[in-house]
Amino acid sequence: METKKLLSDGKRIASQYTTWVTFVGLLLLLSILTKGNALKWNSIRNLLIAESVRSFAALGVGMIIITKGIDLSIGYVVCLTASVAASFAQNPDYSSAIYAGQSFPLFVPIVAAVAAGGLFGLFNGYLIAYGKLPPFIATLGSMSIAKGLQLIYTKAAVVGSLNQNFKNISQGSVGPVPNLIIYVIIAAFIVWVFLRHTRQGTHFYAIGGNSQAARVSGINVERDLMMVYFYAGLLYGIAGTLLASRLGLANSLTANGMELDAIAAVTVGGVSQSGGVGTVSGMMIGVFTMGLINYGMSFLGVDSYYQQLVKGFIIIVAVYFDMKKYARRN
Amino acid sequence: MSATYALEMESITKVFPGVRALDDVTLRVKPGTVHALMGENGAGKSTLMKCLFGIYKEDGGTIKLNGEVCHFKDSHDALKRGVSMIHQELSNVPERSVAQNLYLGREPLKSFGIIDHKKMNEDTANLLKRLEIDIKPERRIGSLSISMQQTCEIAKAVSYNSKVVVMDEPTSSLTDNEVAHLFKIIRQLREQNVAIVYISHKMEEIFAIADEVSVMRDGKMIGTYLTEELTNDKLISLMVGRDANLRFPAVSSAIGDVLLKVENLCSPNPRSFQDVSFELRRGEILGIGGLVGAQRTELMEAIFGVRTTSAGKISLKGEEISSMSPRKAIEHGMGMITEDRRGSGIFPLMNISSNTSIASLREYLSKLGLLKHKELKQASVRYNEALRTKTPTMETLIQNLSGGNQQKVIISRWLMTLPDILIMDEPTRGIDVGAKFEIYQIMSQLAQQGKAIIMVSSEMPELIGMSHRVMVLCSGRCTGILDKSECSQENIMRLATKFM
Repeated sequence: METKKLLSDGKRIASQYTTWVTFVGLLLLLSILTKGNALKWNSIRNLLIAESVRSFAALGVGMIIITKGIDLSIGYVVCLTASVAASFAQNPDYSSAIYAGQSFPLFVPIVAAVAAGGLFGLFNGYLIAYGKLPPFIATLGSMSIAKGLQLIYTKAAVVGSLNQNFKNISQGSVGPVPNLIIYVIIAAFIVWVFLRHTRQGTHFYAIGGNSQAARVSGINVERDLMMVYFYAGLLYGIAGTLLASRLGLANSLTANGMELDAIAAVTVGGVSQSGGVGTVSGMMIGVFTMGLINYGMSFLGVDSYYQQLVKGFIIIVAVYFDMKKYARRN
Repeated sequence: MSATYALEMESITKVFPGVRALDDVTLRVKPGTVHALMGENGAGKSTLMKCLFGIYKEDGGTIKLNGEVCHFKDSHDALKRGVSMIHQELSNVPERSVAQNLYLGREPLKSFGIIDHKKMNEDTANLLKRLEIDIKPERRIGSLSISMQQTCEIAKAVSYNSKVVVMDEPTSSLTDNEVAHLFKIIRQLREQNVAIVYISHKMEEIFAIADEVSVMRDGKMIGTYLTEELTNDKLISLMVGRDANLRFPAVSSAIGDVLLKVENLCSPNPRSFQDVSFELRRGEILGIGGLVGAQRTELMEAIFGVRTTSAGKISLKGEEISSMSPRKAIEHGMGMITEDRRGSGIFPLMNISSNTSIASLREYLSKLGLLKHKELKQASVRYNEALRTKTPTMETLIQNLSGGNQQKVIISRWLMTLPDILIMDEPTRGIDVGAKFEIYQIMSQLAQQGKAIIMVSSEMPELIGMSHRVMVLCSGRCTGILDKSECSQENIMRLATKFM
């Protein structure tokens, strides 16, 4: 009996580190295959920059999955917030600008994009928490709504010619460290403090683990559920701002498919689809594992079509092991 | 030639960790009879039937069908061999027609695997006519009343040529008229030489329909009797008449002022609790007795604010609380240990420490609003040590503990909220005997500290041994509140079956 418990605890600890083991293993594999060429500072820096925006989406959907939810609207909500941000950052002399002839202070695009993301989050959260819609369906609907709004707002045109101050948000750096990496570190830290050290963060795990027990324990399940989608929405708003700033434009293809990348990343990072399990470090490792796979395959000259294929299998394998691990309790 | 008995279950034994659920149980059912299987909650009736249908594998004994030894893999296997079960809960596909449900999984086919709907509907119509059931085969089964759906399940059993039909509390959700119709069909089946095992708590029904009665108690078969030999009182004493061999700690605490007052509380669901009133005093353990379906859990959940009420008042320490919620209940010093420990008690993937502290986080916040992890853990350790929870570490996941230890963690959770009132719904269910006694001691100590406890229990000795008073529910209504001196198994059983 005792050894059984020890074994199961041991297994749990081992599985906590599988994400790390996978990540380090991939790094080693890649450095062997490329004789160390893939792991120069410049390449790693590029990898970190490329994955930074996705990190925000992953942190948001990671929290949602901890409460046993899901969010399919990420890609188009980020696309919408990127377009909103870009529209307030266009050069005033650009003739096809949405607000041609007007210039806004730098905080306007940021606040507008974060507000748009937050509103979408509240909308999703309200439908799921109070309307009792399944998260899959609610966010499937809002995904299409976000896409429609983006097309209407931009008239399906590219929102380009962004001013340099706005572009500097993402493109600048502090010494050798790119701004984007600093933002990611700050965001991850805040989400970590929230999940680990606040009452509501703890409640998210409880709701995902057993919502009925959470209710009996006095947790306001509906309000907390709505808030998790709201917080995720704010993160998508930031992601949109940073993405527009990094690319110097936004269009209807911006952030396409980001929901799948983010969900795949946090799943690989050990956030369980069964709810109630997941850590910020896991989410971040998941993002960079997926990034490493992409980057490694590109570096090795694997055709991008095959990359898509490999990514699909990785997601399936990750969820398969996740389900095996947690399905036993039923 | 046909055997004397349609079904024989000989010396069936089933052992679960820590409990002998069935101990040398023998049940013999003659063809063409209605054989009632009776016993208190937990006497072993369901376990026995689960062994019959292959849901559990018996540890000893044999099952014979028409004199032939057999063992069913599952209920479908049993159905094919002529043994069917009508469950308390319906198990049909509500969106499909009556005929489609009857022939589910064995639809008559034309060539190329196309379903022969015409034949299916005709066969169903003939069958229903033979049983004098007035339903069109094309009707969507979900649109029928519960009793009609149940009748369809019986028709399904007949269509498989069942020789043995087990009915588990078939009337629990039926009206009087519907019961009369069900009985008519049961009598028809009896005439067709079908053996019927009828599980029910309702005395009246047993005397109306059963030919023979077998009584189980504590996993043992007490005996099989002809219905004529029995009276209501005799049956009750057979069901409950065990020697109380469990010792209970003394509960002689001083009873104080009223902490909880419930007045005329009604559920919005007319089939649930109605017009329930009682008072709970400091230092008191109030037992709640009743049979399965008496709506005890529903009443407790309503008092704790998990369920809504349509009328009535709940007052805590003299203050009336409108629209109760668990949050409000906790703020006013109430705690609730739910009946379904897995479903609404534990957070399986959280550790002991988090499981203990989850309802008290509010009291352990720093000025910045961050959790004081160290103090939370210390408090969790303190409460679990006081209750002697056995766990390797506080970081162990609660799902890896035994039922008794999980229960102690949940009691710790509520003690940490410093409650005055604890609702304990079946506090010792699924817990081995040693841990049971420890839980009784904890309850007794809490009462001595001036806390008030409501204990819902289906175990008579526990109810009588632990409670200062026992309130008995039957069909959602309070049928009486017994003082310690009036608390006997017979009195409780009489009140618990008052409307049956």
